[in-house]
Amino acid sequence: MSEILKINGQEKTFEEGLPATLSELLENLKIDAATVVAEIDGQIVERKDFAQTNLTAGQSIELIRFVGGG
Amino acid sequence: MAALKIANSEFTSRLFVGTGKFASNDIMARAIEAAGTQMVTIALRRVDIENDNDNMLAAIDRKKCQLLPNTSGARDADEAVRLSRLARAASGINWVKLEVTPDPYYLLPDGSETLKAAEVLVKDGFIVLPYIHADPILAKKLQDVGCATVMPLASPIGSNQGIKTKASIEIIIEQATVPVVVDAGLGAPSHAAEAMEMGADAVLVNTAIATATDPVQMARAFKLAVEAGRIAYETGLPPKHTAASASSPLTGFLRNE
Repeated sequence: MSEILKINGQEKTFEEGLPATLSELLENLKIDAATVVAEIDGQIVERKDFAQTNLTAGQSIELIRFVGGG
Repeated sequence: MAALKIANSEFTSRLFVGTGKFASNDIMARAIEAAGTQMVTIALRRVDIENDNDNMLAAIDRKKCQLLPNTSGARDADEAVRLSRLARAASGINWVKLEVTPDPYYLLPDGSETLKAAEVLVKDGFIVLPYIHADPILAKKLQDVGCATVMPLASPIGSNQGIKTKASIEIIIEQATVPVVVDAGLGAPSHAAEAMEMGADAVLVNTAIATATDPVQMARAFKLAVEAGRIAYETGLPPKHTAASASSPLTGFLRNE
């Protein structure tokens, strides 16, 4: 069955069910985990915990990384 | 030149460089090298999940440069604290350039929100470098709550206007017990030299380097200007006089007077 996550403010539907963990989500989105920090429902998730962080439908996930800035 | 000490770190370069607006990571890396900088600012943004994102951090030599994450985009103290904590989680770095700019047109910093965020962040173990208007009272308050520097603006961010806040920056420099970094609005190497001659401890430059026709050469020009201004300050500039004082001897042999 399809399930939904809110990623960076946009709803994304997973037709085959959610990725089990944050690491799997990043793989699914083809994002290099080494350069990313995440927040789930406003709580920061450390990179070392990505593989142990389970996802549930309806969560709001922010994926953030460094860019150039002054 | 004396070393610059911030918190427990020492820097031989007094030019901080911002990494925004560069045409490519390669040009940015070469400009950083030419600037001889040991402190570069970076920002946090959402990952674009539809497109490939390049990793600009890979282009920065972290053995030579300390990374200074900023809180750009924060409109109040809560957002700035949240961004600071994200930056620390992402990088392991507990230094932060604190900036709170609610108005996108002039990007002037909100002093009361900046002070509020600074108090929270210092207590949370951050080394806080706040970007502020050239307000000597606010600078003292930030120093008193434990900020590692104060960073007054010369003129609005990216405006290249030079030092429009000179009289107030001079008061901040006179009163500060933490390093004073003149940030924002420095559009030419001469502006940076002027700030250093005034006794600023360092300057932060982004737009003037990144948007130059040749950012690498401009980075070098700023490096030389910062060094020249600092050496002049340490040496002590001579006093100004109203009347002339001849540089050549005024021998009187041309006329019998």
